[in-house]
Amino acid sequence: MSISSHHDAIITVSGISKTFPNGVRALDDVSVSIARQEVLVVIGPSGSGKSTFLRCLNGLETVDRGTIVVDGIPLDHDRSNRLEIRKEVGMVFQQFNLFPHMTVGENIDLAQRRVRGTSAADARTVSLELLAKVGLEERVDSYPARLSGGQQQRVAIARALALRPKVMLFDEATSALDPEMIGEVLDVMRALAAEGMTMVVVTHEMGFAREVGDRAVFIDEGRFVELASAQRLFDAPREDRTRAFLSKVL
Amino acid sequence: MIGPYASSRRRRFTRLDIALLTLLALAVAWFILRLYSGEAYRWNWRVIGRYMVRYDAAAGRWRANVLLNGLLTTIRLSLWSGILATLIGLVMGVVATRKRLIARLITRSYVEFARNTPPLVLVFLFYYFLGDQIIAVLGLEQAIMSLGPVQRQILTVIGAPPRQFPAFLSAVVTLALFEGAYLTEIVRAGIESVSRGQWEAAYALGLSPLDRYRFVILPQAWRVVLPATVGQFISIIKDSAIVAVISIPELTFQGLEVMAATYRTFEIWITIALLYFVLSSSCSWIAHALERRMAINR
Repeated sequence: MSISSHHDAIITVSGISKTFPNGVRALDDVSVSIARQEVLVVIGPSGSGKSTFLRCLNGLETVDRGTIVVDGIPLDHDRSNRLEIRKEVGMVFQQFNLFPHMTVGENIDLAQRRVRGTSAADARTVSLELLAKVGLEERVDSYPARLSGGQQQRVAIARALALRPKVMLFDEATSALDPEMIGEVLDVMRALAAEGMTMVVVTHEMGFAREVGDRAVFIDEGRFVELASAQRLFDAPREDRTRAFLSKVL
Repeated sequence: MIGPYASSRRRRFTRLDIALLTLLALAVAWFILRLYSGEAYRWNWRVIGRYMVRYDAAAGRWRANVLLNGLLTTIRLSLWSGILATLIGLVMGVVATRKRLIARLITRSYVEFARNTPPLVLVFLFYYFLGDQIIAVLGLEQAIMSLGPVQRQILTVIGAPPRQFPAFLSAVVTLALFEGAYLTEIVRAGIESVSRGQWEAAYALGLSPLDRYRFVILPQAWRVVLPATVGQFISIIKDSAIVAVISIPELTFQGLEVMAATYRTFEIWITIALLYFVLSSSCSWIAHALERRMAINR
């Protein structure tokens, strides 16, 4: 099964390394190419570098070495390149990070209006469409603090979709949620994957990872220990470290 | 939620409180009695009224006299210094939170210099530097003198009469630079109170650096900054007294003038203290109202 042949890759990561100022080596010579419409799930123990890997993909973290190309645009120090990539890559955070001083609608309008220059009315139309998609159309005028964690995260997904990105990054999107709210967020992510959205998903939800992921990668100590189809990685891990990790979390 | 501290706040006086209050009242009564009795001091409060307003016989109406004019000058001085200091604080506060070393170096030096120098010394320094050098270089004096009568009138109302304007301007700038250092720290703290996640979300959405500040960071920093800024305005009002030393006819300077003419020490300084108190406390009342409103809107 060759899901990731290079010619239709939307993200190409070649040999990236990153060491934090405190000397911690977060990523060590990591390479991968992610195909259009692929869902890549990233698993690994905490502190293994999986979040850092994800954050490098839209430039939230800079790399010390190696290159990242997103949809043909190199993620380098060129400001306009970085901006172009951020338009094409949506990101969902563990702590939602909704803007608390804006209503749900304003949260989703903002980037459309400021980055794309969309008119207020057009932006709101899109925002309402996206809210309908995550099942929260009626909360358009609420402030984030009035919503449950699950609802906030669904709004955050709608906000990340506002610029019509080609890739969505999920950084432990359900880790901060109460157990009863995880399902509603996973449902939205599942629907997105079914629509053919390219996704890179850092998660602790192993059942979800196996079900939705096309490929899965196990990261430990900043290295890709094992990269395979999600089914194969979860059902028949080949590396000892992968096996040890999965036996602990499954 | 009521903590143990709140519940232990008593609303009634105890016997000890009453004893202390009685002692205090006696002390005040003794002090006043001493002032009024014998040759120690002759009170004459009418002086105050005369120096607040005077009757202009030629025009046939009442006009503000030196004390009231001094109060108005203090208000104008504080207002302009406050606005300018806020702008300085906003820009320097934002710069202080940038990653670049040079940015932090510049703001740090400014803040430390302004905070570790007596304001009186700064007033002299800036007055002579600004007054004699910058204003001369800019040709401000000539520019003001060539203004038409209407423009002169406007200048007088919003600032100072044309001839006093250069001195007024250097007083405004001096105060603003001094208080701006404190506002820089207030703004910096406000920006740093906004969580990292907010920066990251704004970044991930593709907002430009300016938009990140304008729409995401500053509106949230505002909650911390605004009450503290109003507090700083109170300091500006009080600190504005210091420019009396460069002959700006503000409240304290006028007090000195009236005292030189009348020797009514207590009447004048009690009046002036009260005027400052009214001005400052109305500011702190606004600060409290703002804080309450923000707490509700949260």
